[in-house]
Amino acid sequence: MTTTHPAASPPYRITPPRILRAEWHKLRSLRSTWVTVISAVVMVLGVGLIMGATYTSGGGDSDVDTVVLSLYGSMLAQIFLVVLGILMTAGEYATGMIRSSLTAVPTRLPVLWAKAVVFAATVFTVMLATSVVTFAAAQALLHDTDQAASFTDPGILRALLGNAAALTLMGLLALGLGALLRSVPGAIGAFIGGVMILPEILGMLPYDAVERAIMYFPTQAAGALGSATPIPGTVSPGPALFALSLWAGTTLAAAALALKRRDV
Amino acid sequence: MITAHGLTKRYGDRTVVQDLDFTVRPGTVTGFLGPNGAGKSTTMRMLLGLDTPTQGRSTVNGRSYATHPAPLTQVGALLEARSVHPGRSAFNHLMALAHTHGIPRRRVEEVIDLAGLTDAAHRRVKGYSLGMGQRLGVAAAFLGDPATVILDEPVNGLDPEGVLWIRTLLTSLAAEGRTVLVSSHLMSEMALTADHLIVIGRGRLLADTTVAELIRSAGGASVRVVTPQPEALKAHLTAPDVTFTVTPTPTPTSAPEAHELRIRGVDAAHIGRVAATHAITLHELTPQTVSLEQAFMDLTQESVNHRPHRQHEPTAPATGADIGAAA
Repeated sequence: MTTTHPAASPPYRITPPRILRAEWHKLRSLRSTWVTVISAVVMVLGVGLIMGATYTSGGGDSDVDTVVLSLYGSMLAQIFLVVLGILMTAGEYATGMIRSSLTAVPTRLPVLWAKAVVFAATVFTVMLATSVVTFAAAQALLHDTDQAASFTDPGILRALLGNAAALTLMGLLALGLGALLRSVPGAIGAFIGGVMILPEILGMLPYDAVERAIMYFPTQAAGALGSATPIPGTVSPGPALFALSLWAGTTLAAAALALKRRDV
Repeated sequence: MITAHGLTKRYGDRTVVQDLDFTVRPGTVTGFLGPNGAGKSTTMRMLLGLDTPTQGRSTVNGRSYATHPAPLTQVGALLEARSVHPGRSAFNHLMALAHTHGIPRRRVEEVIDLAGLTDAAHRRVKGYSLGMGQRLGVAAAFLGDPATVILDEPVNGLDPEGVLWIRTLLTSLAAEGRTVLVSSHLMSEMALTADHLIVIGRGRLLADTTVAELIRSAGGASVRVVTPQPEALKAHLTAPDVTFTVTPTPTPTSAPEAHELRIRGVDAAHIGRVAATHAITLHELTPQTVSLEQAFMDLTQESVNHRPHRQHEPTAPATGADIGAAA
């Protein structure tokens, strides 16, 4: 139809890079983002330094993998990053922001993909840098112990990359859960119950098949990814990365389906 | 231009919007009117693609909202429910929305000024008053300088200054040739701003009309005449659209031979002139107007969702018989 617009409109148009830019702007303009990301960094770095400072050769931790020992704080960091992922999606439903987001981008799915990409890029970059710095700092304290290692030792760089990847994928899983459940407490509860506790309960079952399956569960796979040496009872890093990606990917796919089908 | 064709929304067996057909034209303010719970917000959400219709479809400027390559430049929307993260500043909220379309920072600052939020733009929305929240919603609606504007209950909760601001805005938008659809449950508000009215009740279209037409169809503007010579008066008022209703004994205080007439289609001055010319005695000559509010009440009475004296609300939309019985 003929437009009744008073002036010729400039060539504004939705494009994928622009949606990414919008999501990046949304992410960095919230205080909660800074709080969760900085908390995650502080947890990894702080616990790493404590581990390095208090370690004694031949003690109870001697058989622990060097990277796992240095990055022990990742367990705590994961909680903050999971919350960040959930806030990015479920948080928009809690505040009503989702209506603005989906009115601006009514095709909907690009918003979810953009959130996932922005989250992954941010968390992976920050946590890789944190892992490398923490490992180096811990090694400065561990250099004369039996945990002394260098970046060039076999598996070290892979484990540092793996740790950042594991935290990112766990966060993406949570982001997907948030989009699927549309509730911050609901998604946090589902993550704690389904991802953190359920494998522990299943692990008590006396079946070999269950035990083998649990090795591919998110927390087990994440553990395998962040270790320079093979951990007994876990799969090797390749399958672990594949399994964890599949968990995150499946959750995001389910979230995408719900986003496309359900009313806002 | 907004069109709805057989727009229907059901939640389970509850029909919220039923078979709505309407067209909203450019250059006018179209009031979307109905009691609370009539389905106004749901309809607006369907227009914006937030809710998917169970049946039917709607278009904005010729195509469904979601298929526009730059929807913010086609339609600006102010939704009733707050749609902003309270932890973000107005500037950041608008900038994030602007980024999706490549709308520059300059335009964001423009709409902030237009909405009168310049001083508060970098404060978090958390601390905004209701009025400032509405202003932010209006700023967001204007980001893409859209030809069509949809506003859901924009004056709700605003102070007089804010109400005046919205009214002026609506009128100037229509004057610029834009399509303006604005919902309200207040007829008095619509009477001041709207040129055209779409009235719904219980999700059904009750009227698609002008303000003047609505008053007329609701049995508005009439003249009450008490005269002992009703036939003589009728004989001399011969315009084609004049109608009479005769009541034999009007009020206890009237003269016993008097009749009360309710005359529509001519004004009191004309009746007075005719009576004087033909020496017809009049005991009373009183213009009667039905207020817009009354016209609206009459129109929507059968379809009000929350009437306190009704114990059992049928979950399915009332049939004609139900409405008749309830009224």
